[in-house]
Amino acid sequence: MKSAATVQKKRSRRSLSKTDRFTLVTFVGIPTLLQIILLWVPAVVTIILSFTYWNGIRLKDIQWAGIQNYKNIFVNNPLFYQALKNNTIWLAFFVLIATPLGILLAYQIDRGIKGHAFYESIYYLPVVLSLAVIGIIWNFMLQPGGFVQGLMGRDIGNAISIWGNPKINTWVILGIASWRHIGYIMLLYLSGLKSVDPALKEAAAIDGATDWEIFRKIILPTMKPVNIIIVVITLIESLRAFDLVYIIYGSPTIFPLLNLLVFQNFAGQGISMKGAAYAVILLLLCIVPIITYLRISFQEDIK
Amino acid sequence: MSEEKNIVSRRSVLKGAAVGGAALAAGSSLSAGTASAATRLKGSTVKWTTRGGGATGDAIAKAVNDAFTKKTGAKVVAQQVNSDDFQNNFAQIMQGSPDDAFGWMAGYRSNHFGERGLLADLTREIGRLKGSLPTAAIKGATSPVSKKPYILPTTYYPWALHYRKSMVKEIGMNPEKIDTWDDFVKLMTLTQKKGLVGYSLGAKGGWEAMGTFDVLNARVNGYKYHIDLLNGRAKWTDARTKETFKYFAELIPFMNANVMDISWDGMRDLLLQKKTGAMLMGSWFANDFKAKSQADYDDLWVVPFPQINPKFGIDTIDAPLDGISVAANGKNVAGGKALAEFWASPEGIAQAVKAGDTNIYVSKSFDTSSYDSFNKQKLAVLAAAKNIMFFLDRDARGDFAGPIVGPAIQNFIKKPSDINKILENVQAQWDALPKN
Repeated sequence: MKSAATVQKKRSRRSLSKTDRFTLVTFVGIPTLLQIILLWVPAVVTIILSFTYWNGIRLKDIQWAGIQNYKNIFVNNPLFYQALKNNTIWLAFFVLIATPLGILLAYQIDRGIKGHAFYESIYYLPVVLSLAVIGIIWNFMLQPGGFVQGLMGRDIGNAISIWGNPKINTWVILGIASWRHIGYIMLLYLSGLKSVDPALKEAAAIDGATDWEIFRKIILPTMKPVNIIIVVITLIESLRAFDLVYIIYGSPTIFPLLNLLVFQNFAGQGISMKGAAYAVILLLLCIVPIITYLRISFQEDIK
Repeated sequence: MSEEKNIVSRRSVLKGAAVGGAALAAGSSLSAGTASAATRLKGSTVKWTTRGGGATGDAIAKAVNDAFTKKTGAKVVAQQVNSDDFQNNFAQIMQGSPDDAFGWMAGYRSNHFGERGLLADLTREIGRLKGSLPTAAIKGATSPVSKKPYILPTTYYPWALHYRKSMVKEIGMNPEKIDTWDDFVKLMTLTQKKGLVGYSLGAKGGWEAMGTFDVLNARVNGYKYHIDLLNGRAKWTDARTKETFKYFAELIPFMNANVMDISWDGMRDLLLQKKTGAMLMGSWFANDFKAKSQADYDDLWVVPFPQINPKFGIDTIDAPLDGISVAANGKNVAGGKALAEFWASPEGIAQAVKAGDTNIYVSKSFDTSSYDSFNKQKLAVLAAAKNIMFFLDRDARGDFAGPIVGPAIQNFIKKPSDINKILENVQAQWDALPKN
């Protein structure tokens, strides 16, 4: 039995031509190698570093810190909990409002409502901009001395506090982030919807199903793989939020996010391995959706 | 990222050994005197980095570097970099292939890197400049830990109270005489009564408000207590620290409503547009007033922050010291040292000033007789102080100032009643830092 399997294996390996083997090595080997060097090694090193004190200069200065960095973050640093709160609000807002809105828009456009091509292009437009550019645009509009403040006749001295006002800055930032996210989700969902067999919808309509019933009982189940991808993307986008806020504030302290804290403590002058500890916390928070995402993609491949 | 750092530092360890040997060889030639060093430099190339400054910065660099080339025969290749990027990536740049010499900052920012072998020891160079450098500047450029200088001091500027003379006159006060706490409060009150901002502050970047804390703490508790506090020898939870924040809290009602929305440039614009009574900031922004109009510049005035505790008077000021450092991992360390020395020498300074440098140099050779009244006043403000602080983020370690003190001050301004909790957090975070 065992030997038969080996023979089988040997035969199949022998049956690979030189070109096949070359292709295999190139297309699987190189990406795997790069993945290990650029992703896994740094990740493991980061995890190890998160248990040390180090200022990033001389290797011999590394001291073992045990769980001190984590303790410091969890016990002493109020910024961590503010960041956790902001990331959670971000996530909830995306899951409950932005993503469903994107799906709704995709559904309406797919149904071919009047002027759908126009809507599609304007909702999609922000997606071509990077979040950093979006940050620059909205900062230019809303900061003291900015365009919108000017329109309201306010100069720097009496400008409405937006970025610095904790009562509204969360919602303004989430509004801006959603501006892009909705279009992104719409696009993803739309491409999924295009692949749903229209015959299914027609059959349901003939049987007397309402629009809502068709969406809930026909489209949602058929779109299951796309739905899962969208959920995972929404999770990851919310947890890794960084560029928009960094461009607006330049520092992580007024509107802290986990990623901003990683950056502040891991780069520049304030470097300490607390940054690595923040990165590990973030990694743990992300890993559940990432694993789900991978499993779904692999299952799809096997099918 | 961490892996990158690992590779870099491993590489730099090897490189450091090689450069160390070269530096020893070069050092021996330099000790024979500048003249022989100059002949050795002939034909070599020295790399120079200008940190920001735009076209003026380039013009100044060109003037000084050309004079150096003329004197020594060494070629200088100069580049200008974005100041913030250079600063944020400093450790990485210094461990890669840095330029030999560059404009840099004294205090923790040079000592920290010098003590860790990234900046060259400039003891010999500073010794040769002794004739033109005041003792205080040499002391300021020397690391208190290793007792070695890693920077040759060149320029500095005061952090002090700025206002517009015309506005002070309008509210019926004497602009030349804002020197007690009462005058200061009166100025803020009367300005605020006119519907303007009494005391403007921006804290968006997280560092701007440190200046106000520095000076208040020095006025309330004195220079020694302040420096002790920043270096862990006094407690943030101490009643004396809390007393400082009491004064800080008194200023908050006079501040603009959008402190967290603006940065230093917003503060500058408030004063430029006559929207604020007074502000505490580094005098570097005065050039922007001049760029707007001569009238605006002539209207600008600066005085020492008023006395609070008579025991300390106005004896302390934030006056960050800048200078020239030499990369220990540069390709031409001897050349870098010679170039740095030239920049900090009376000869080099004369070239920089001729090319349009408006900074105040610490050098005794520096001629201030042609100064305008604002610059003379800056000198007077500096002269009024006995102790020089370098600003909180240069007086305290980098992993403490930016990530811990900055946000704490912001949180205090947002909610002053939380001060006890905030200070407890700062102290706890200091206690958790590794000793180094």
